[in-house]
Amino acid sequence: MSHEVTLEWRDGREATVNVRKAETVTDATERAGLGIPYGCLYGACATCTGRLLEGGLVHVKRARGLKPQHRQDGYVLLCVAEPRSDCRIEVGAEVQADLVPNPWK
Amino acid sequence: MSTDERNQSTDAHHHEHHTVKGPGYPTPAAMRTESEREKTAFVMGVRVGMDVDKPDFVGVVDVDPDSETYSELINTVEMPNKGDELHHFGWNTCSSSCHAEGLVRDHLIVPGQRSSRIHIIDTSDPRDPTIEKVIEPEEVFEQDLSAPHTVHCVPGGKIVISMLGNANGELPGGFLQLDQDDFSIDGHWEVDRGDMEMNYDYWYQPRHGVMLSTEWAAPETYYPGFDLDDVEAGKYGNSIHVWDWETKEHQQTLTFGEEGLIPLEIRMPHNPEETEGYVGAALSSNILRFWEAEDGRWEWEKVIDVADREHPDWDMPVPGLVTDILLSLDDQYMFFSNWLHGDVRMYDISDTGNPRLVDQCWVGGNFAERQSIGGHDVRGAPQMLQLSRDGRRLYWTTSLFSSWDNQFYPEIGEKGSVMMKADVYPEEGRMELDEEFVVDFGDAPGGPARAHEIRWPGGDCTSDVWQ
Repeated sequence: MSHEVTLEWRDGREATVNVRKAETVTDATERAGLGIPYGCLYGACATCTGRLLEGGLVHVKRARGLKPQHRQDGYVLLCVAEPRSDCRIEVGAEVQADLVPNPWK
Repeated sequence: MSTDERNQSTDAHHHEHHTVKGPGYPTPAAMRTESEREKTAFVMGVRVGMDVDKPDFVGVVDVDPDSETYSELINTVEMPNKGDELHHFGWNTCSSSCHAEGLVRDHLIVPGQRSSRIHIIDTSDPRDPTIEKVIEPEEVFEQDLSAPHTVHCVPGGKIVISMLGNANGELPGGFLQLDQDDFSIDGHWEVDRGDMEMNYDYWYQPRHGVMLSTEWAAPETYYPGFDLDDVEAGKYGNSIHVWDWETKEHQQTLTFGEEGLIPLEIRMPHNPEETEGYVGAALSSNILRFWEAEDGRWEWEKVIDVADREHPDWDMPVPGLVTDILLSLDDQYMFFSNWLHGDVRMYDISDTGNPRLVDQCWVGGNFAERQSIGGHDVRGAPQMLQLSRDGRRLYWTTSLFSSWDNQFYPEIGEKGSVMMKADVYPEEGRMELDEEFVVDFGDAPGGPARAHEIRWPGGDCTSDVWQ
């Protein structure tokens, strides 16, 4: 079955996309022309990082680009993620930068 | 004969001491003196990791001061997909095939660092490049390789690309070989990779049958950004690898340890007689020199150490982060960038083991006083370098890699990066920022982009190797 996924950008913008069965969030946002960033499309590069705010989402391939701490903090890789319920996800290019603060600053 | 006019090939320029004409120049000096001034530049434009819903592009920048569109981005060829992260790129053929009949330098091989997709761009008209062929990621993954980086054409009708990971973005990487005629995948270049696991850049000196490759990290490690814990866990490189160019076997590993953390760009002199070179260790911010000893083994030493600097807003001293290094075609000068500091340095390397700092250009970054040029903010700091063939103009862009940009210079992720230039006076051993030249990729058609590697039609200091 499909699920309603609500996307929230940090600038306040919001959009809702219907993610079909066996479809990744990235495939759905591309189908809807929402312009969520992505890169490798196999869970290694973390360009598509979002943060799960509400709902159930599973990684259907190993999310190699995330460390265990990132996963605990709710970060998800949308290119390998499928919803299992309706969800709210924080998205946009800025979210990825949360993963790696400047180590010297 | 201009080198960027339509259908340029070097059989158009004089090649008097050879009967067979080819796509390059017989010697580095011929390239330096017989080619004309660059008129256009190919510059990679990257949208990955930005809220710009557009693909990356191959940009064409007008660098002809007599042109009405001087210092403007005059064309952008968008890739068919988003998310590639165009990064480094190279030619179908260069001076290493100077004597091969029938070859023309008219195609660029443009890989996507993140997508592992490889684009073949027809550049017969350097002002209007077109996409000729796309090798999709699946074909690359079939070789259990990913993350294409350095592209060199090699003698024998082949193109070799350093690949940083396996099909899962983990280690080991390897080398992908393409056929020069139809750009199909042959398979791996290497026959035996020995203890080499990490990969990044490579250079080769065919007269001596040697190739040397460097190390970044596994794609899954460096793709998401820079984490010091990964350095402590040994996940970043600290070695370079010596290969037998003929048998394609790994021969020796030079391990630098703390002196050579993250050895990225590697350059050997253009003089094909030379058996030495330099590598920039980005994190250690050192330049290391390597050479072949009398017994045929390779040795190394540190020749330049960029001191960390205290910054009032940073908790820890800031390393220079030497991210690119370049040798002039006459092998007299070395230039390199300190991406976290904000300077480009120029060294006299006529005594190769004792580089002498002759000049430095500060703009952007965390320490330069000058933070804008021609009314444009310098987002980022000097990074990818390209020198004119005659050694008189040094150009650079200011983006490193999307996730690392967003980490250290987040404004690049919002507004794109810039391209700049310095005039170089080799006779006087100095350079001077050209305040009139700036190309702001924040104004790129379709939305801001990160400007990355630069190449001239007709070849340059970092594309061509001599047999």
